[in-house]
Amino acid sequence: MTRTRRLAAWTAACALPACLPGPAAAQEAEWRQARPDYVLQLPGDHASHPDYRIEWWYYTGNLAAADGRRFGYQVTFFRVGVDARPANPSRWAVRDLHMAHLAVTDVDGGRHLTAERLNRAGVGWAGAATDTLEVWNEGWRVSLDGAAHRLQAREDRDGFGVDLRLTPAKPAVAHGSNGFSQKGAQPGNASHYYSLTRLATRGRVLLDGQALDVEGWSWMDHEFGTSFLEPSQQGWDWFSLQLDDGTELMVYVLRRRDGSIDPHSAGTLVDAAGRATALDAGDFRLVPGRTWSSPASGAAYPVAWRVAVPGAGLDLRVEAVVDGQELSTGESTGVTYWEGAVVAAGMRAGQPVRGRGYLEMTGYAGPPMSEVLR
Amino acid sequence: MSLFRWFILRSLRSDLPRTAVTIAGIAVGIAVVIAIRLANATSVLGFETALNAMSGRTSLEIAGAGSGVDEALLAELGWLREYGLVSPVIEGDVLLDPRGTAGAEAELVRLLGVDILRDRPFRDYPLVGGADAQAFTTREFLALLTDPQAVVLTEELARRRGLDVDSAVDLISGDRRVGLVVQGLLGREGPAEVLDGNFILMDIAAAQLALDRLGRVDRVDVRLAEGLDVAAAEQAIAGRLPPGLTVQRPERRGAQVEKMLAAFHFNLTALSYIALLVGMFLVYNTVSVTVITRRAEIGMLRTVGTPRRAVLALFLGQAAALALVGCALGAPLGWLLAQAAVRMTASTVTTFWVASAAQVPPLAPEDVALAVAVGLSLALAAAIVPAREAARLTPVGALRNEDGLAPAGGLPGRHVAGAGLLLAAAAWCATRPAVAGLPVFGLLAALAVVFAAALLVPPTLYVLQRVRGPRRWMPVESELARTNLGGVIRRVSISVAALAVSLAMMVAIAIMIGSFRETVAYWVGQTLQADLFVAAGRGSPVGARATVSADVEAALRAHESVLAVDGFRGVDLAYRDSLIVVGSGRFDVMLEHGNLLFKEPADGRRALAAALGRPAVVVSESFALRFDATAGDDIVLQTSRGEQPFRVTGVYYDYSTDRGLVVMDRGTFATYYGDGRPSGLTAYLAAGADPGRVRQEVLAALGPGRPVFINTNASLRRSVMRVFDSTFAITYALEAIAICVSMFGVAATLLTLALERRRQIAMLRLLGAERSHLRRMIVIEAVALGMVSLGIGLVVGFLLSLILIYVINVQSFGWTIQYHVPLGFLLRAAALVVAGAALAGLYPARLAGRFHLAERGADA
Repeated sequence: MTRTRRLAAWTAACALPACLPGPAAAQEAEWRQARPDYVLQLPGDHASHPDYRIEWWYYTGNLAAADGRRFGYQVTFFRVGVDARPANPSRWAVRDLHMAHLAVTDVDGGRHLTAERLNRAGVGWAGAATDTLEVWNEGWRVSLDGAAHRLQAREDRDGFGVDLRLTPAKPAVAHGSNGFSQKGAQPGNASHYYSLTRLATRGRVLLDGQALDVEGWSWMDHEFGTSFLEPSQQGWDWFSLQLDDGTELMVYVLRRRDGSIDPHSAGTLVDAAGRATALDAGDFRLVPGRTWSSPASGAAYPVAWRVAVPGAGLDLRVEAVVDGQELSTGESTGVTYWEGAVVAAGMRAGQPVRGRGYLEMTGYAGPPMSEVLR
Repeated sequence: MSLFRWFILRSLRSDLPRTAVTIAGIAVGIAVVIAIRLANATSVLGFETALNAMSGRTSLEIAGAGSGVDEALLAELGWLREYGLVSPVIEGDVLLDPRGTAGAEAELVRLLGVDILRDRPFRDYPLVGGADAQAFTTREFLALLTDPQAVVLTEELARRRGLDVDSAVDLISGDRRVGLVVQGLLGREGPAEVLDGNFILMDIAAAQLALDRLGRVDRVDVRLAEGLDVAAAEQAIAGRLPPGLTVQRPERRGAQVEKMLAAFHFNLTALSYIALLVGMFLVYNTVSVTVITRRAEIGMLRTVGTPRRAVLALFLGQAAALALVGCALGAPLGWLLAQAAVRMTASTVTTFWVASAAQVPPLAPEDVALAVAVGLSLALAAAIVPAREAARLTPVGALRNEDGLAPAGGLPGRHVAGAGLLLAAAAWCATRPAVAGLPVFGLLAALAVVFAAALLVPPTLYVLQRVRGPRRWMPVESELARTNLGGVIRRVSISVAALAVSLAMMVAIAIMIGSFRETVAYWVGQTLQADLFVAAGRGSPVGARATVSADVEAALRAHESVLAVDGFRGVDLAYRDSLIVVGSGRFDVMLEHGNLLFKEPADGRRALAAALGRPAVVVSESFALRFDATAGDDIVLQTSRGEQPFRVTGVYYDYSTDRGLVVMDRGTFATYYGDGRPSGLTAYLAAGADPGRVRQEVLAALGPGRPVFINTNASLRRSVMRVFDSTFAITYALEAIAICVSMFGVAATLLTLALERRRQIAMLRLLGAERSHLRRMIVIEAVALGMVSLGIGLVVGFLLSLILIYVINVQSFGWTIQYHVPLGFLLRAAALVVAGAALAGLYPARLAGRFHLAERGADA
């Protein structure tokens, strides 16, 4: 099982050691590798794992206000280790870099608002607790409130953000083998990875400085590891879908530079009771449709897809709620990608089914990922 | 206009030496005024330019009381984000020592330590040398800096010192030497522009480590979000900050420095106008001479119906012409002088910023306008008396005195009365308090004394002329000289007054500096009781940011001969719009070993003991005077715990800084300002120990190459006096210029007198006088004038010195100076003046020797 979606952190992780003095290998030796015998345990594993170099907490969701206005949102916290044991006793010594992305999609307004944060831990302006789920970057924060997740992120300058309470409606799903996710041919290239695929969400979306009460569903990912990937991909297309029959689907394909599909492409199907079924590259098909060209980057993204899982009798048409949901993260990761809210409609075993979710597409803007990540 | 050309310009041309001297006098005067103005502006401007470059787009800065901001407080300042971007900053002055460049001196650079992740919106850091200069992402930039040894410096500095990326350099901060590696180079933009490229950038963590300031940042810069009102945000932030932190605009630091330097600048400016005063006397002299020598022509003009106002305008025009030429020469000369003055004042000003950021700006139109305005108005003011005299002449009265020599006249009573009035005014002014911290009335008093002295010159000459020495002891030439001068008292008075005033100023300043020097020497002798002094860097530890490392202190304490060690720690603190120094020392050690000189109470030990262990302080005399505080008062200081009242238990004498010192016990200081490393140490040795040897042994224990500065008592005293002397070098330079100009005035006067007396002198030749007799006669005249000037100069100088020491000094700097006359200096100066006067008489004397009756000129 691989999960290559979280491009931003990945880029940072790969690019940073190359700039640092000293051999990268020495850096690697400072960090723990993901191992198959690690047993994920919640809520303990919601917390940060500073022994591993790379870690992220990913929240996406589709929300609606009482008047029917619809919103998509994405809040991501990244932690990338720089120097496990800094020689400098200063609190400002950079052990980890903390990055965060915030995006709100105003579906009816056809808008996609984004913001980012990049900080060292310093005097506590960013960080991640090691005993509980508490991750923050300046004013942006996620923490546990009983079983619920409190998620707060707002950009003051443009007056948008989210203030949400997310309650798991299903238990966590460990991807791969008990959450051990082998990423590449090399044994060490792996991570620990789980998702909360259905989080009942209530709270407020802030738009143009005004708070709107909203309700909806969210999806949370948490993944940590030290070395992940082999840089031969052009990019990837990743889907998380919550269907109205109570099931969820996560699938992605890795696109190689020669246009072929990487055999590590995979997915997970979660049934209404929360049981997960792993999918490998042969179990599903993703067919791109209509494209949208970004005026900012010039990249052309497929914003309509056909997603089929023949073994489950599932055949869906997935389309972006707003075409322009591109993020340009010049300050924090320097990578341009498309991540946005989607709607799905189609059939499951002869029955009509609808759903909502999130789509991430990378490697469409700028040079091939293999060069970006060199 | 043609009348002007015929009457005035021709006379200026025909009396070229006098014209030249007058113009030179005005030019020098204007030059000095402009130079000081530019130099003063430069020091403030230099600071402000550097401040602007360093603060970039910072709208507000948050600072702690004195020693920066405890970084633990920063975590609680997350709400600042509501107002805009926030970036913590560390700044310091360090020495950069490129390795492997043998013999090259380490040079002072400004270090800026920032969190580049936050700082990029604040300041421009144009990294060069990358594949694409603009392509450095913030993360890549951070990667350059994260290593504790990483430093980025300016291309300019790198080129000058032969450095490049990967070069190893040593950074000397206080007594520590830190090895660094150059990771990148900066183009000339943003902070890299300051101080001719003497700028280095480090990561905030590395800067903390290198400067030994772990746990603190110097300030937190805030860049307000677009559209926020700075004043409103400043007020709102001030209301939310925890006690101990203050918010201000970066410009305010510039204003504080300006205020700090105000008194110093004011006095330099006042001094510069003295030079102008001399030029003014010269204009008066020249116009008077023209009026006197042209009585006949004035009479003719009046006879042909020229109105009085035209005559008045004619002579004022002469003064204006002289002034304009003088200004035209003086302004550019002033710019050149400013360059020199900036270099000379550099040692006077306490901060490196002001000292070396100084780049004299090009001459601005307003500088020229000022020069012309001042020069012209003073010249016209100087000319008004002789010009009115000319205008008042009746045709008959003018024609009567054909030879041009004014009558001797009686004792000029009006002069005596005027002088009396001026002296009374001076006495009144001397008792007035300072205006906004500036000794305005003190300088007015000095000015009144100067004018009174000028008025008293003719009566003095008149009285002296009546005194006749025993004839047989005096050569006949001296008798001739006496009668000659007696006939032209009004004329020579001007030159004598000019010289006398210059000399008076010199005498006054010599006495003031001499007294000050003596006072400081006594103070140093009394208060510097310790045997060894450890400084964290070159220069004075007062208010310095560098600190003495723990291992240095340990090595000192570990030496067997060391009985006690005291540390001094000082921080700069804003107090009532100015910057003071809050210092600390161990009062118990001072009680046992030290010997501060106290003004009140007389028993300083009582003051120290009373301040021990409670929020109480002793303050320096300048603090007490400037801020009107005495023992028993409470003063409120900004501390890390917010505003806090401190009881003043004593006022002590201090001459180390005029900024005002507040000293508290180490324990009290630690409570309110944090227990940081000291900026200087003093050590008391066991009886019989050799300080020189202990010094050597401590240095040896610390290992070679360690930049530790240990002074013995004797060497520190020497260096204090050396600093003192260099501080006042510029004062002497200014005075020397003024005296030179007035010497020229004496020469010019004698020259004119000689020219006017051609007939008379030629007659003496006919009567059998040798050339040598005539030469001697004129030299004797010169010496006599010099001595009279000197005499008056000495008397007035003593008067002025009283005003300088007891009024101006106290109001500007707040120091008690014990009156002391530097007799040796004055004697040497007097001898020089007499010799100089004789020298000034030589040229006219030689000229006079060549006169023959037959060659009497048509217009003399």
